[in-house]
Amino acid sequence: MITSTLRRILLALGVVGLLGSAVAQDLVFPIGEDDRFDWASLERFEALDLTGQTIEVFGPWLTVDEELVNSVFAYFEHATGAEIEYAGSDSFEQQIVIDVQAGSPPDLAVFPQPGLAADLASQGALEPLGASLEQWTRENYAAGDSWVDLGTYAGEDGEEDFYGFFYKVDVKSLVWYSPDNFADAGYEIPETMEELIALSDQIVADGGTPWCIGLGSGDATGWPATDWVEDIMLRTQEPSVYDQWVEHAIPFDDPRVVNAIQTFGSFAKNDAWVQGGAQGVASTDFRDSPQGLFDVPPGCYMHRQASFIPSFFPEDAELGLDVDFFYFPPFEAEDLGRPVLGAGTVWGMTDENPAARELLDFLTTPLAHEIWMAQSGFLTPHSGVNLDAYANDTLRGQGEILRNATTFRFDASDLMPGAIGAGAFWTGMVDYVGGESAEEAAAGIEEAWQSLE
Amino acid sequence: MIEQVLSALLAVVAAIGASVTYFYGSNWLLDRLVTDRRTADGTYVSRQKTRDAVRPWLFLAPALLVLGVYLVYPVVETLRLSFFGKSGDGFVGLANWTWAVGNDGVRTAVRNNVVWLLVVPSLSTVFGLLVATLADRVAWGNVAKSLVFMPMAISFVGASVIWKFVYDYRGAGSEQIGILNALVVALGGEPQAWITVEPWNNFLLMVILVWIQTGFAMVILSAALRGVPEETIEAARIDGASDVAVFFRIIIPQIFSTILVVWTTITIVVLKIFDIVAAMTNGQWGTEVLANAMYNWMFRGGGHFGRGSVIALMIMIAVIPIMAYNIRRFREEEARR
Repeated sequence: MITSTLRRILLALGVVGLLGSAVAQDLVFPIGEDDRFDWASLERFEALDLTGQTIEVFGPWLTVDEELVNSVFAYFEHATGAEIEYAGSDSFEQQIVIDVQAGSPPDLAVFPQPGLAADLASQGALEPLGASLEQWTRENYAAGDSWVDLGTYAGEDGEEDFYGFFYKVDVKSLVWYSPDNFADAGYEIPETMEELIALSDQIVADGGTPWCIGLGSGDATGWPATDWVEDIMLRTQEPSVYDQWVEHAIPFDDPRVVNAIQTFGSFAKNDAWVQGGAQGVASTDFRDSPQGLFDVPPGCYMHRQASFIPSFFPEDAELGLDVDFFYFPPFEAEDLGRPVLGAGTVWGMTDENPAARELLDFLTTPLAHEIWMAQSGFLTPHSGVNLDAYANDTLRGQGEILRNATTFRFDASDLMPGAIGAGAFWTGMVDYVGGESAEEAAAGIEEAWQSLE
Repeated sequence: MIEQVLSALLAVVAAIGASVTYFYGSNWLLDRLVTDRRTADGTYVSRQKTRDAVRPWLFLAPALLVLGVYLVYPVVETLRLSFFGKSGDGFVGLANWTWAVGNDGVRTAVRNNVVWLLVVPSLSTVFGLLVATLADRVAWGNVAKSLVFMPMAISFVGASVIWKFVYDYRGAGSEQIGILNALVVALGGEPQAWITVEPWNNFLLMVILVWIQTGFAMVILSAALRGVPEETIEAARIDGASDVAVFFRIIIPQIFSTILVVWTTITIVVLKIFDIVAAMTNGQWGTEVLANAMYNWMFRGGGHFGRGSVIALMIMIAVIPIMAYNIRRFREEEARR
């Protein structure tokens, strides 16, 4: 309120014009110059005049990702004259609940977890995005139906509606390694989990440390472990068991889940296998943990982490050259195909706003995807984008893993109720790595889940 | 940046303007509305008494309103929420309370809060008193005092970030960037992931608060020490009392009420302790405290308002006796004057 009044006063004084021109971000790729980009999709927005309108976007992206998302927004701002105020937070999950409860939500919220978006939708805090966007997603995203399902929640009245639009997807089943280190030591990229385990033993036998694992993430500490467990679930059980686990149709301390946790423990709780030993795993920040790949001599040889992690690699590390990835392989003995675990950020409208709807519309254009693809850390299921726009072979290769998947499943912890997927599961994994048995940790999570029902 | 500064300035001017207008305006209005009157038979009726009765309430009204909106209403609402379900609807009776009593996480938080209460106020006060007493005896005392006081100026989260680096852990063999592990390794020991070592990690977190609060205790106690009459100390010395005897038998009793004030103030800070735990461990590795548990239950992953409210009330109930004691002592002292 005060800001908008103030803006009017300042506008009268001609101050905003000066500020605006100083603040406006430069476009990273000049319009019309690079033919990798679908510049034509910008035309519709140039006809739109949203000058003087502000769109507040609140999301989980900070530092590098914040710059990147702003570089995409810049084109929308340039075309329409609207101003997008993006705010990022490390504790998005808590802050968005506070903002909604306080009655001052942003216009658009970018949820890293559909579970939380579904929670807010059921409280009536999200606006339905409309049939046309739902239809668009179905038709233009690869495996469109699954993305629509992941964005469809029950509203306050219990009616299901399309509330969440996915933009920026992550593939999680990746193992990062240094091709140079592998070549120097004569290691081959493993094709099966059995080979991966044998390779880890080989590295130890050669006097090296196979893995870097870090679970630290401020007040979200523990989540990287949940990705491990989920990836292993998909490699040891049928997808239907995974779905039952997510829906709490089987208890969390089911032996099949406990087995997955123990398999994760065979990596993380093995002092010889992880840099810093088991006690370093829980306290090392996930953003610092890949550092070992780049140390000389190598602090570790492999790091299992999602496609976003290059944002946290040293600045001079070149993807494909200094560091590359391979697919986190399945067990040959299990015969479960090539499952892929993924996640994505889902946009919800927390405050009805026509300009914000235009922004969502802009996010469906190929250009809005290509701008980010051409930089770093962005994957998309959008089938209408030019794959040449991917900045490098690494990103393009991740796109291929997505396409070759026989099973695709969304991050389980993101689909579980918030108190579990963003609480008990995280702390349970920290307790497990800290010394608790897998049975105890799983039973603790199960107890927390039961107490919610 | 300029926009924020202008916003702040605008807010300050508007707030002061509104207050001045309210006090002058309401005063003026009262004098106009409740006037002295001459009745029909010509006698003069003074209504000064009515005006005097209304005026204080007029002046108190804004404060009462703000207190009501920001203090009384939230307490009542929290109490209401504690009997309701996840999203604040659906009456569940005492279910949230029985949950809190039986929940391991809440129990750990209560246990840790009690330990924090025992350790932090006492250590801060003792260290503060030590520095206040001893710093005056050396030439560089003022420098020492400034250094001890400085952490007071750092926010809890800022302090946590500093101490995060003190406790930082890297695997054995790699270079230790945490000073504590660097020392341990230099002395030939094994590095430790300090903040994960139960139960000692609790004490390592307490160190941070002691580090911050010692400065506060020192400043207040230092002022109190100055207030101790020289004659009493001299008299004791002449009677042959040692330094230690003077300190414990003459000085301490005379500044005892100040020590209590410092103690209770820090106690209340400790009851609300949240930032340090949230920033360092988020309550993991058995370091949960009530305020952090409350925040997590209230807001994390969609939140559970009933359970969050119960924990909030537990904190409030724990503060009440200390507040009551403080107020009673304050009244006694006022009465003595």
